[in-house]
Amino acid sequence: MINYIKKEVKKHAFDYLILLTASIFFILALNLFRGERFLEFVILLAFVSFYVVWGVYHHAMNDHLSIKIVLEYVMIGFIFLFLLKIIILP
Amino acid sequence: MSFSRIRDYFHHLFFPKEDNHFRPKILHLDFLSYYLLLSLFLTFLFKYTPLSNILGYATDITVEKLYELTNQERKKHNLPPLNYSEKLSRAAYQKALDMFNKNYWAHFGPNGETPWQFILNAEYEYEYAGENLAKNFLFSENVILAWMNSKTHRENILRKEYTDIGFAVVNGTLNGEPTTLVVQMFGRPLSSNLVRNLSEKKPVSNFSSFANSEVLANNEQKPKINVTSFLFNFNLGFISILILTLIIDFYLAAKMGILKIRFTGKNLAHFIFLGFLAIGLFVISQGEIL
Repeated sequence: MINYIKKEVKKHAFDYLILLTASIFFILALNLFRGERFLEFVILLAFVSFYVVWGVYHHAMNDHLSIKIVLEYVMIGFIFLFLLKIIILP
Repeated sequence: MSFSRIRDYFHHLFFPKEDNHFRPKILHLDFLSYYLLLSLFLTFLFKYTPLSNILGYATDITVEKLYELTNQERKKHNLPPLNYSEKLSRAAYQKALDMFNKNYWAHFGPNGETPWQFILNAEYEYEYAGENLAKNFLFSENVILAWMNSKTHRENILRKEYTDIGFAVVNGTLNGEPTTLVVQMFGRPLSSNLVRNLSEKKPVSNFSSFANSEVLANNEQKPKINVTSFLFNFNLGFISILILTLIIDFYLAAKMGILKIRFTGKNLAHFIFLGFLAIGLFVISQGEIL
């Protein structure tokens, strides 16, 4: 499994670097605007949207993009957007 | 249903096998659709049903817990516990209402209102007084921890001159956002000698430091259901289950050599996304202190 992860990261180093950078910025932005509920939600929405776009871009670049894969990213992203929204903006 | 059937179904849910097309069932699109519907249902449930009126805002902060934790911190530093003061709590409540009514988030109001005005208006004649503020925290523990990690707030909590304390946890709308404010007020009443001199000489007020942060709670109504803890743990548990399933799936699929021939989303990417969401959940549970 570790070997596969190494190969995967090495093969798509740029993609994963972008994803990790965006994720770190997500945490930094949340921390920066702690207690500002609306901004926290905007940051979460931006992160989820970025994740869906990243998924589509990543699979499109590798020639195996399908509607099922797009839906998988959309659903995982938006499930947690709605669940966290209840806490941020009840 | 026999044990073996339950075991098979469990495997069907969590392990990649031929009968689930080599992808754990709980990661299939139909199951993801159910989670999405559930999350939408919960969103509307808490927003539009009478349940939201009971729950008010998504925080789990109580005056009792704040009082208990504050005195615990003082005990750790060999300081006497503070007495709960109804007058100081009334002052704290009036301060929180004033912030909501005049739409500000500070120790001093836009028209020059001072924290000690609220204390004096509550008929508490003080020799020493102080104020800590917080907003939009989720849990009482985090409020006290944030104050203790801030030098000025910590000094207020651990000041030996104080004998009384009051709290208010009030929900309202600040700058157009649902907000929970926590106001903590400290005091030491004037001694009888000073009271006698009061008519001749104005007492010197001694406010050490003032701190603001956002918290959500209500002095008048307590949540009947611990919804914040439930939602927080539900999110954390759900993320953990998905991450665990992704790891199991990734490990077994790599072992079976089917990762390259399987056209699904990338487990590693989902893992990174969910991991950072879990960290984000802990950041969100923290509010703001000034």
